[in-house]
Amino acid sequence: MTIQIQPPLPGAIEVQNIGLKFGVLTALEHINLSVESGRFIAIVGPSGCGKSSLLQIMGGLSRPSSGTILCGGVPMNGPDPNRTGIVFQDSSLYPWLTAQKNVEFPLTVKGCSRREREEAAKEALALVGLAGFENKYPHQLSGGMKQRVSIARGLVQDPPILMMDEPFAALDEQTRIVMGDELLRVWARTKKTLVFVTHSLTEAVYLADEVIVMSGRPGKIIDRIQVDLPRPRRADMMSSPAFNDLRIRIWEQIETPRSEQ
Amino acid sequence: MKISPRRMRWLLIIGFLAVWELAPRITGVPPVLIPTLSLTLISGFEQMDVFVENFFVTVREVFAAILISCLLGVSIGAILGGNRFLSRAMLPLASSLYAVPLVILYPLFTVWLGIGAPSKIAFGAFFGVFPTMLATASGVATIPRQFRVLAYSYRLNLFQETVRVLIPATIPTVLNGLRLGGALAIVGVIVSEMLASTSGIGYLISYYRTLLETPLVFFAIVFVIVLVTAFDMAMRKLENLVKHWMPEKSDGSETLSLSAG
Repeated sequence: MTIQIQPPLPGAIEVQNIGLKFGVLTALEHINLSVESGRFIAIVGPSGCGKSSLLQIMGGLSRPSSGTILCGGVPMNGPDPNRTGIVFQDSSLYPWLTAQKNVEFPLTVKGCSRREREEAAKEALALVGLAGFENKYPHQLSGGMKQRVSIARGLVQDPPILMMDEPFAALDEQTRIVMGDELLRVWARTKKTLVFVTHSLTEAVYLADEVIVMSGRPGKIIDRIQVDLPRPRRADMMSSPAFNDLRIRIWEQIETPRSEQ
Repeated sequence: MKISPRRMRWLLIIGFLAVWELAPRITGVPPVLIPTLSLTLISGFEQMDVFVENFFVTVREVFAAILISCLLGVSIGAILGGNRFLSRAMLPLASSLYAVPLVILYPLFTVWLGIGAPSKIAFGAFFGVFPTMLATASGVATIPRQFRVLAYSYRLNLFQETVRVLIPATIPTVLNGLRLGGALAIVGVIVSEMLASTSGIGYLISYYRTLLETPLVFFAIVFVIVLVTAFDMAMRKLENLVKHWMPEKSDGSETLSLSAG
């Protein structure tokens, strides 16, 4: 008997029965999730539900107590910038490097040639709308621009998966909306799998194909909501009834366990 | 007319020199208490060769003392700052030792090393090593966690992390420590010259004081000021190397940190 096995696409993510314990405290329990290549998924949940821990585990930055993560069909046994780019919340640019050099950083430590990394970084910066800002230092850039640099750095090695841990949490609301649109544009052009952790329900619904809702203590996935709003998304959709229904459905799930305590 | 801070500074200096020249004349204070500026300069220039010779004795000692306190302070500080257990065990001890008037130990230094250059250099280095060490330790200990997570996510080895992340991240605090430590090393050398020694600017100060040659004491003090200013300018040069990525440092804070030394 022959079994036809389809090799998984490099952008596919399989989260298999992930658990995370700190001593007696269970932070994550039975997390199962599969993400198709090229999808945009958002993970939301109350603070302390372990959504950031889950992202760190998915990116190979920390180890789960049990379970496996497969990115592109291969287990993650540590960070692998060739498979997953990671964008952090803030202060993750090195202040002593220019925007250009920050974006080049992953390539520099990999030992790429000067020409190769300069071209790749220039291209990545242009993609996030920062052409002309290559030689600025982080302190000369606004919060939104810094996050654009972080995103460019996440993209510079062209990994099939990009993971973002509350990337816009430190930004003011207008900048957040602009950055959301920027991210959607970049995503549409690069066709990466995007995993986006946020505490903003509006942001989650606006950006994602699918919203993963988590509950806290222990962190579990309690719902997966398909967002079938048409693309490209536009800011005026946020006031549509369909959008609000989705948001309220998520909110109720997050709220209920808390009121039962 | 608008006065810039820079012009104001020069006006203050000129004003001070004018008061120095005029006040003793007007009030009739005898030169043995406060000699005028002109008398100080005239008496001093007559002994110029003595001053130059002793000045360079002091400069050499200060240079050696700063070099030693810098090497020791930075390396011990880096070890302490990088190791939580050690820093918890040692830093409180170092901080309280820091409050001991170190000059009480100078007699011991002369017993061990005589009254020549070695004891003065050792004492100056001893003076300077604590702030350099404490600043380096706190610089290493307060490297943002995110910098290291990022280094981990790009799979830097320890050498790459040290060169590309840890050293640049601690440079600003280390420079602050050097400024403080260097100023204290100067204090240490000159104090030891004044206490028990046969050469150096500090020695001249106490020597001419016993002879009641007050104008020459003042002239020696001018040399000390020249030395301190030269040190300040050298530090400024060093700080300018990293200033372009450090927005928060201004002229004012630098002067403050110097006066603290």
